[in-house]
Amino acid sequence: MEELGGGVDQVRGGAEERRMKMKVMVAIDESDGSFYALNWALDNIFNVMTSTSTIGTSTHENEGMVFLVHVEPIFHNYVYPIGPSGAAFYPASVVVDSVKKGQQERSAALLSRALQICKDKQIKAESVILNGDPREMICQAAEQMQVDLLIMGSRGLGKLQRAFLGSVSDYCAHHAKAPILIVKPPDEHHKKHS
Amino acid sequence: MATSKDESSEKAQPQPVMVVAIDESDHSAYALRWTLDHFFTAGNDSVFKLVLVHARPSATSSVGLAGPVYAGAAEVLPIVDSDLRKIAARVADSAKQLCIKKSVNNVIVEVVEGDPRNVLCDTVDKYHASILVVGSHGYGAIKRAVLGSVSDYCAHHAHCSVMIVKKPKTKH
Repeated sequence: MEELGGGVDQVRGGAEERRMKMKVMVAIDESDGSFYALNWALDNIFNVMTSTSTIGTSTHENEGMVFLVHVEPIFHNYVYPIGPSGAAFYPASVVVDSVKKGQQERSAALLSRALQICKDKQIKAESVILNGDPREMICQAAEQMQVDLLIMGSRGLGKLQRAFLGSVSDYCAHHAKAPILIVKPPDEHHKKHS
Repeated sequence: MATSKDESSEKAQPQPVMVVAIDESDHSAYALRWTLDHFFTAGNDSVFKLVLVHARPSATSSVGLAGPVYAGAAEVLPIVDSDLRKIAARVADSAKQLCIKKSVNNVIVEVVEGDPRNVLCDTVDKYHASILVVGSHGYGAIKRAVLGSVSDYCAHHAHCSVMIVKKPKTKH
């Protein structure tokens, strides 16, 4: 391939500029599924770009861009009864604060782990933390940032579980405007497969 | 990931396979174009192996839709069948043309008879695909419940990652 590279490279060079820079958004949460999705996506999608740049003589950096988005569900201020008779109620702000802080720390840890993965594969990444309902926030974020592809993991819920627990990837598959890639966890399917 | 230097079909690792579902609709044509633009740039067809699959509805199922009891069904079947074959050939052809135009050669095109959901999932299994790409008609909840959604079924049942590409509504 590289011997032929001489003449083909000029074509490739022009074509590389034409090459689409993919803006990709990956939804991250605590589940293994989303990290698996991130790794899978980085391996399979971004190597499309790295392979063209290694064949050619130009030293294009990986032009893709990954946005890691993590949505924290809103923590509701529940009211806790205090006092022996339970007569007085107030939201235990101490509790609320510590939970919020815990949540933030967890999100930060998650995203830094994800960012590290991207860095190891030499792919530019940015992280975003949002608050609210994961389904809506992810779809909104994908639209606002005009991403080319939205990548999500899937917990592999069965039909019944999906109906009761709801599925974020399901919701996004229906409502996101952008193309969406749902990465399934590696199979125990092979066992079920007759 | 080592890009193989020799042009022979010996590759160090098995090439990941991408299956793209096609039918007569604009949505799937858009999905195919989008996929070619983003994943198969500049004739870089050494990364993914592209398989296009078209699920041809079987003649009996189409006639069955016309009504449960149709007296002249037996005579109509061959006509419907050849018609469906023509449509399928046209779909397969235009898809292949699209690939060639984007300088992606070496594409496998399959036309399989049967229900799209099963055909797509079976094709994924047959080629051990890593990704299945489907378009989406963009039905709302009710249409989806009544007409059924192939992309939905595949997203849940395919044994690989599924990419759903939607044609953007052009009412900017």
